[in-house]
Amino acid sequence: MSTARIHIHRAVMDDSLREATATRAWLAARRWPMFNCIGSPGAGKTALLEGLATLLAGRLKFAVIEGDCATARDAERVAAHGIHAIQIVTGDGCHLPAAAVNKALADLPADSECVLVENVGNLVCPAAFDIGETAKVAVLSVTEGEDKPLKYPALFRKAGAIVLTKTDLLPHLRFNLEACRHAIRQINSAAPLFEVSARAGTGLSALADWLLAQAAAARQACAPLGQALGK
Amino acid sequence: MHEVSICQSLVSVVLDELAQREVGAGRLKRVRVVAGQLHQLVPDALVFAYELLTRDTPAAGSQLELRVPPLEATCKRCGWQGAMEPPIFLCEKCGAGIEIKGGDELFVEELELAES
Repeated sequence: MSTARIHIHRAVMDDSLREATATRAWLAARRWPMFNCIGSPGAGKTALLEGLATLLAGRLKFAVIEGDCATARDAERVAAHGIHAIQIVTGDGCHLPAAAVNKALADLPADSECVLVENVGNLVCPAAFDIGETAKVAVLSVTEGEDKPLKYPALFRKAGAIVLTKTDLLPHLRFNLEACRHAIRQINSAAPLFEVSARAGTGLSALADWLLAQAAAARQACAPLGQALGK
Repeated sequence: MHEVSICQSLVSVVLDELAQREVGAGRLKRVRVVAGQLHQLVPDALVFAYELLTRDTPAAGSQLELRVPPLEATCKRCGWQGAMEPPIFLCEKCGAGIEIKGGDELFVEELELAES
């Protein structure tokens, strides 16, 4: 029996990339940056959003897209701070699919200036899926240990910013902060590192300033072609 | 861990290609996939997921063949080029940040079909 070889050279993530590209174009037309926050369950992603809501009130109107396997608890927590939050329930899904994020865009308030996505708690899978974000934000808590960036390098390599959370707990832990900083620099020497405690409120203002700068840069970006043509 | 979710995308690409060409069940013998080292896919886990996800589809019984190009980089400062071993992404000569030149590919290269 003979065989035929068909050369296709097609991206494995073909469908997902198409959705991500559509999302990116949609955001560019509005000049909103979108940040994909990724970290383990319990890393403090929601607390970080709550802290930013307080700090950025009246300065940057951001909307939130929440991804979880079950419940709308995180969206409710964020909404309690006056933030428009959309919950996507993924069921067994270990990451937010690009298509689900794209579908959620229509529900974002028209006067938003920025979108913060809290992906499903997981250090591995969400890093593999582009959802059309401006940048990934890696969220790591000090209780997870200083070696996690070296053990899960994919996320830290791809991140546009890295946030180390729960730093108020450092006095109680055997966490080598210098070793953690060194590990992060070895993987990603370009991304800014923010060391914060949402509970104590420390370090958050630097992260808030970074988001403000990103939103300002997005506003000043060249008008997308469709918009320039008045479409 | 992420092999199953990535394999779902992979299988949908394969099934779409088969449908476009009106290839009937049992004719697909082999699928060649290129997944660079950066993706950290465990070959056995990917093959396991592929067998599971193609069951009862026109791709059932086909074999997955994985090629893993090594991670290659260029130094942004001194121009050094060479292979790189994750998780350290710094130039081995001058210690500066690097730019990835290879090892981040993820695509279906080829389908091998039995002639009908």
